[in-house]
Amino acid sequence: MDFIIVTNNPRVRDEYGMKYCVFYRECSFDDLLYFVRDKIHKGHRLLTHPLSGSVKPNETPYKSIMISADIGRLDDDSVALIENAITVATSGKFERYRQRQKILTEEILADFQMIDYFLITGAIESAMTGLR
Amino acid sequence: MKTLELGYFHIKDIVIGSESKIENGVLYVDEAAVKALVLEDENIKDVHFDVARPGESVRITPVKDVIEPRVKVEGPGGIFPGMISKVEAVGSGKTYCLKDMAVVTAGKIVGFQEGLIDMSGPGADYTPFSKTINFCVVCEPADFLLATDPTATLPIENAKKPEYEKAVRMAGLKVAAYLGELARNLTPDETETFSTPNLKEGMEMFPDLPRVVYVAMLQTQGLLHDTYVYGVDAKRTLSTMLWPTEIMDGCIVSGNCVSACDKNPTYIHENNPVVHELFKQHGKTLNFVGVIITNENVYLADKQRSSDWAAKLCELLGVDGAIVTQEGFGNPDTDLIMNTVKIEKKGVKTTIVTDEYAGQDGKSQSLADADQLADAVVTGGNANQVIVLPKMDKLIGMLDYVDVIAGSHAGSLREDGSIEAEIQILTSCNNEMGFGKLSAR
Repeated sequence: MDFIIVTNNPRVRDEYGMKYCVFYRECSFDDLLYFVRDKIHKGHRLLTHPLSGSVKPNETPYKSIMISADIGRLDDDSVALIENAITVATSGKFERYRQRQKILTEEILADFQMIDYFLITGAIESAMTGLR
Repeated sequence: MKTLELGYFHIKDIVIGSESKIENGVLYVDEAAVKALVLEDENIKDVHFDVARPGESVRITPVKDVIEPRVKVEGPGGIFPGMISKVEAVGSGKTYCLKDMAVVTAGKIVGFQEGLIDMSGPGADYTPFSKTINFCVVCEPADFLLATDPTATLPIENAKKPEYEKAVRMAGLKVAAYLGELARNLTPDETETFSTPNLKEGMEMFPDLPRVVYVAMLQTQGLLHDTYVYGVDAKRTLSTMLWPTEIMDGCIVSGNCVSACDKNPTYIHENNPVVHELFKQHGKTLNFVGVIITNENVYLADKQRSSDWAAKLCELLGVDGAIVTQEGFGNPDTDLIMNTVKIEKKGVKTTIVTDEYAGQDGKSQSLADADQLADAVVTGGNANQVIVLPKMDKLIGMLDYVDVIAGSHAGSLREDGSIEAEIQILTSCNNEMGFGKLSAR
């Protein structure tokens, strides 16, 4: 299964950028979701859930999402998932996390990067088996 | 027929000293012996122990796991198979349990490490572990794990955190097994027996009762989001079946500690309330067929396969109903709905147990996913509800990261030592098996 990792996580960029196709963007959590939505509208399919992990949207600033490398017809399931994720992430109930990001130390940010890295690593292991 | 007798020892207090025994309901713990056990793992430099009792002005944070000590005294296998004991299948014979107490592991693994237990005050109502006498195990990482950057605010080097996570996880299980062993040759205060017929026996014994299966979704997304079944990372398993009593012998242990409120620590797996409630009704209003376990992976094709298999097993078993519980937030909501919809489409009625993130005003959509077929829901409460936790006289653990624990915000830890946060900061407050002391019934 050929895939693209879309991420704003520098650790994922650094560790996987030379091994797999990685689209790295320096952007917010929400903007990454919007970017992925644009890709879905162009015919890519979601291969991982946009809300992976129990760390809440914007509690962590980092997100890595796997999409298909190939482009096809608009995939309704992918559209539904990404739109739902955007609705959840941009809802007011996680607003406090956006404010809290301002007090996060470098080490805590590194931990959030680590968690996101391990989440996408699990997905890569599944994708590499060819599971579709 | 698979039969397991549980023997209960009601622990009235815990005393840390120089010998280990259970006498007149008091658990005496040889501090040096338990310390030596924990320090067998070179990843742990030091450990200290403490006791927190219900009603005391004590706060424990950050909490990693909560475990009930047990020991297998008769029958195949041992407690926590594949992790502490050999991997032999369990679930029959006799197992002794130290009730009314728990082993609580605590210590930093990541900066936003979550989980808080208040033993008194308003927070105590929300976490079930304010009602247990807690033997706290607070670990400190080994020097070689420490970050070399002198400006680092967290001690543990990032790359080494998975090893430290495992070390703390195993420390809790080892201590729980050690304490459980103290009951081996004693007589329990009371016993309770659980029997599950095989499929053929069940249909012959209860021909007129509806057949119900329990679908237990396990958190399986990665570091700090993992669950282990007979020692296997459940991320790498296919949906499968267990005898309900296997779970009572600790075949499912938790490696999950992110999202404190909807975490199912090992204690809740051991005492799975859905399993216990189904046993109460077994042979009376329903035939409790067994447990299907399934996972909550990040990769969508894994979700597809796991939910297809969970539904397939329901169909193969020919059950009439399924209770489905999940663990976690967001992504697992999709698994929950996938499982529910697919099982319903097999003609099996479902009821789901979940928590909600409905916003502080309760007006937001509760789950990250939904379907009209998921129309029977039991809620574990709204994790976004705000609470003010008063300052406690004693802290076990550290408060360094209260401001960044999920549910908190900048300034959550106030100058007077109180904490204003969402209740999702409290360990297992909204757990999605319904293990708690609050009800709206």
